[in-house]
Amino acid sequence: MNYEDRIVTAFTACSVFWAVLGMLAGVYVAAELVWPTIDFGLPGLSFGRLRTLHTTLVLFGFGVSGLVATGLYSVQRTSHVRLFAPGLAWFVLYAWQLTIVLGGASILAGWNAGKEYAELEWPFDLAIAVAWVSFGVVFFGTIARRKMEAIYISNWFYGALIIVVAMLHIVNSLALPATFGKSYSLFAGAQDAVVQWWYGHNAVGFLLTGGFLGMLYYFLPKQAEQPIWSYRLSIVAFWAFVYTYIWAGPHHLHYHSIPEWVQSLGMAMSLILLAPSWATMVNGIMTVSAAAKKLRSDPALKFIVLSLAFYGLATFEGPMLAIKSVNVFSHFTEWTIGHVHSGALGWNALITFGTFYFLVPRLAGAPLYSARLANIHFWLALAGVMLYVLSMWGAGVSQGVLWLSLDKLGEVRFSFNDVMAAMKPYYLLRFIGGLLFLAGAVLMAVNLARTFSGRRTVVVAPPPAHAAKGLT
Amino acid sequence: MPARFSIFSLVKVLFRPKAAFETLAAQEPPATRVFFGFALWIGLLPPLFAYIGTMNFGWRLGVEPVFLPQRTVFAISAAYFVALLLGFLSSAVIARWMAVTYDASQSLGRCFALMAVVGAPLAIGSVIHLYPHAFINLLVLVPTLIWSMYLLYRGLPVVLHTGPNRGMLMASALIAYLLVAAVSLLGVTVALWGSGLGPLIGN
Repeated sequence: MNYEDRIVTAFTACSVFWAVLGMLAGVYVAAELVWPTIDFGLPGLSFGRLRTLHTTLVLFGFGVSGLVATGLYSVQRTSHVRLFAPGLAWFVLYAWQLTIVLGGASILAGWNAGKEYAELEWPFDLAIAVAWVSFGVVFFGTIARRKMEAIYISNWFYGALIIVVAMLHIVNSLALPATFGKSYSLFAGAQDAVVQWWYGHNAVGFLLTGGFLGMLYYFLPKQAEQPIWSYRLSIVAFWAFVYTYIWAGPHHLHYHSIPEWVQSLGMAMSLILLAPSWATMVNGIMTVSAAAKKLRSDPALKFIVLSLAFYGLATFEGPMLAIKSVNVFSHFTEWTIGHVHSGALGWNALITFGTFYFLVPRLAGAPLYSARLANIHFWLALAGVMLYVLSMWGAGVSQGVLWLSLDKLGEVRFSFNDVMAAMKPYYLLRFIGGLLFLAGAVLMAVNLARTFSGRRTVVVAPPPAHAAKGLT
Repeated sequence: MPARFSIFSLVKVLFRPKAAFETLAAQEPPATRVFFGFALWIGLLPPLFAYIGTMNFGWRLGVEPVFLPQRTVFAISAAYFVALLLGFLSSAVIARWMAVTYDASQSLGRCFALMAVVGAPLAIGSVIHLYPHAFINLLVLVPTLIWSMYLLYRGLPVVLHTGPNRGMLMASALIAYLLVAAVSLLGVTVALWGSGLGPLIGN
């Protein structure tokens, strides 16, 4: 039985589509902060709805589709078997994409559950739960049928992603439906806030970090044609990561009405988190350092090298911002938005781009349409993310200084409006950075589409059973 | 580049960086000479410009200017100088530490010189601190920073005698360090401020 790779192609195509559309929505809301009247008075174009659409499309459309594509591709190759229940995998594809399309439309129509990064209302929450658990059945079913004794490290990360996101999504979405389009959370007050950020931060942890580390651990050694620098370190880092991350959520609620010890625990666990995060970064950097020769021939590897640098930045900046005395300054400023994007653009998007540049030619059985376009994409992405992060650092520090400025009577010296008006130039820079990044993503979409155009997914057979000892 | 790497090499470093890199690759300047003859002096420029600018125009963050007492401005400028020196020294030492992994030259003097050449455009670009309007500073210093990053990618393989591919990897690893160092500086600053060690603006 051959590997089921057509599903990988389909998820990859969806991921690229949502990347372009989701980033376009992001660039549009960035433009609205510079020119606020471009919503033309239409509720569907208002900042509140479009911003929610942006995060939903990039997280669940681009991010999750990319993770499912790479997870299904690598689990077959590291288990030496065809996918378990391929029909169910196709159901996941259609259910997931339909949920994003209809869910996106519902956000534009004004439906909102009022939970950050979980804004979709209860009918969509149910659909997500069913699709996600089905993904879990396909993934773990494949692992259960594996011909290899060991479960390779990438599968541990993908597995943690599936289990923890299922747990987070189901608990955080518990709600009492009032009508078809409106529900009320089962949790109230401060409890609701704690559950929300337990979900929110672990979505960052297990989806944006853990899931993409699964991608890294499979595709980096494949691209570099080198084994992982230290397999032992990857296992230690995995368990440290899983144990520590789950406690870090309360750092989103510093100085809020939750018990102080909960805040301090969240801060302490966030600081400890630096160790497993950087262990993984070192593992990645050392793996790639042995494969310098591949850089010239493989534009994809450059993306992964740079994504590791931004992974290092984001995983250092995160614990630092979780320190209460830093958070008091940074929390309600653009610094937070800059931090999120150094992770989301610099780490998640770049590693996904690098992986797609590696994966699509293999799925198509043809070389990449244009290595030159991929190189241009690399520099556009680097310039875009640098401009984004630096402008948000500038804006964040300015906001922090201005908001903490007191007048002679000890009152707040600058109004919210004054401070926001002062941010306009930074927002313009951020808009330009986002536009560059989007332009790069469009180039990638064209490049990958031309690579695949007129072809069918290559059929690959698992190696014979007796050869099944090493990693494929 | 004259045999002695000193402040008199500045024009060449700024306008003919490629030639400067090649000369550095051929010789091995002692680290102390690079530091005391070049880096220390250009490192003095940003805090000096910042001091003069802040005293004359105040910090301009987009609303009315924020003026600070002279002692505070002096303390901030001195701290800025110390931070720049620490940043320079740590980057050079870390470059030397990384050199083992990337099969590059482990000469401390060359690492010092590389960092000095890469940092020089930023030091000169800091002349914009004379008018400390945050956004105008960003507008000038971000392109300068991109130029410095370009110099790092181009200069590292030449000065530290490694191949272009390994050089690219090592430069990326150094950029990761520099990003982390930059954000640490921001974090340490606001944490100190939060604990009452910083300036009290407006009081």
